[in-house]
Amino acid sequence: MDAGELTETARMARLNLSEEERERLRAAVEQMLAYFSHMREIDVAGLEPTTHALLRENRLRQDVGADPSDSDTLLGNAPEREERFIVIPNVL
Amino acid sequence: MDWHGTATSEGPRQRWIDFANARQKDLGCFLQIDPALGAVETAPKGPLAGVPFGVKDNIAVRSFRLTCGSRILKDFVSPYTATAVRRLQQAGAVVAGKTNLDEFGMGSSTENSALMETRNPWDPRRVPGGSSGGSAAAVAGGLVAFGLGSDTGGSVRQPASFCGVYGLKPTWGSVSRFGLVAYASSLEVIGVMAKTVDMTEAVFTVMRGQDSMDHSSLPWQPPAEKTGPLRIGVPCEVADVPLHPDVKKTFLRTRGMLKDLGYELAEVPFPTLDHVVSSYYVIAMAEASANLARFDGVRYGYRTPRADNPEAMTIASRTEGFGDEVKLRILLGTYVLRSGFQDEYYLRAQKIRTAIRRDFERAFADVDLVLMPVYPVPPFERGGAESDPFSQKLADIFTCAANLAGLPALSFPAGLENGLPIGMQFLAPAFAEGRLFAACRQLEKVFPSPDAPGFPTGWR
Repeated sequence: MDAGELTETARMARLNLSEEERERLRAAVEQMLAYFSHMREIDVAGLEPTTHALLRENRLRQDVGADPSDSDTLLGNAPEREERFIVIPNVL
Repeated sequence: MDWHGTATSEGPRQRWIDFANARQKDLGCFLQIDPALGAVETAPKGPLAGVPFGVKDNIAVRSFRLTCGSRILKDFVSPYTATAVRRLQQAGAVVAGKTNLDEFGMGSSTENSALMETRNPWDPRRVPGGSSGGSAAAVAGGLVAFGLGSDTGGSVRQPASFCGVYGLKPTWGSVSRFGLVAYASSLEVIGVMAKTVDMTEAVFTVMRGQDSMDHSSLPWQPPAEKTGPLRIGVPCEVADVPLHPDVKKTFLRTRGMLKDLGYELAEVPFPTLDHVVSSYYVIAMAEASANLARFDGVRYGYRTPRADNPEAMTIASRTEGFGDEVKLRILLGTYVLRSGFQDEYYLRAQKIRTAIRRDFERAFADVDLVLMPVYPVPPFERGGAESDPFSQKLADIFTCAANLAGLPALSFPAGLENGLPIGMQFLAPAFAEGRLFAACRQLEKVFPSPDAPGFPTGWR
């Protein structure tokens, strides 16, 4: 992965890497990608991909309300709030 | 040692709390220790009445913090309780506190915690393993009767092995993941660590079963039990993996012990063993990059004080809040899911996952259990000189196959070499946990979990 691709991947991942961090992480990223390239050795022709080992069919329930979580505690974890609104920096 | 009533009867309770607080200073197992808070939501009676336990700090317990060992959740207080924990509380068990871990469960030494250093009770210079290292050290140190962990690629079994206790990774879906902070959803399951097979099984029996809060949870559906001597398979390919001499010695001795106990041993082919680590990390990192996208600094968790628009706030909060290993996995996960690279990495890894499942299906057509080491080396020293982060990933070779196939596995203490515990593991078909407990109970009679230095004698 070259420096440009690393920067683009970081942008997609919503991370901002410093110059020093980019160098450090790039070495680790390259090491892993080189290791992943061994996957090419195995013949996967005819194999379906597995997403989950033991997934069952959908289970439906009645469309009725349940006890909501404690909304005050939930809101209490917001970094900044005004009464029952969560505050973020200006959008415009 | 009988732990019943320890957290609830006055005399033993005080002796236990004094001991746990003192040992916490040496071992650093807990990120938060508060048995009084834990006792609030516990039923007075039940099969685990008064039994104190530790909960890995990526599993929610109401009113306790839920940090995931990360700066990004350092001050987060959980508004609800995980189903697995709630069932244990209904059975009378008492949460003693929240245990340390590698950030978001990503690591094999607990050194990736941003919040605390945890030491191995057998040697304070060494790591307790990871990522559920805090729970393993707390159990081996005698601070609690059992500990909950989460096992995504070995995170219950490897620390159990490093600390000389039992560590169960249940069948995927058999224990509800409601309240477990998601890292790699298709791989992970809540598991248990304890000093005895009986305690491990008792805790699992309480936790398991379908839960309306977790759509992927499955009803308990054990297969018919085998009669007569069990056949145990050893993958031929294990011989190709370089093992530390102490691990190799323990592996051979365990095979001998099993033969002496009347088990039949057979070699089974497992040709995908060499590819499990690649497949595992591609899938785990892809799922991690999606699951950790929720940390945006808006509704909860760390928010940077320096940002003048929402986009900059999210990027800076994530950049300042996550540690190196988490960033590495998010970056790689994002990369393998990018259009143009998906087929080469993510899709290929999922197909290899199918091949791994087939290897297990073939093996279990011939044998009842599979035996493997847990980890190729004994507990290593802190600081990365004996094992760097890349070597630690390669060393997941024996543990992560069970996660890819969704199968149960139980790590058991199998030896003590040069003063350090070494574990082995059995793997079984889905829902055949009973077979794991039965075989480990036989071995426990010959080699029980050794007591680490300073292990308490009791609280009566």
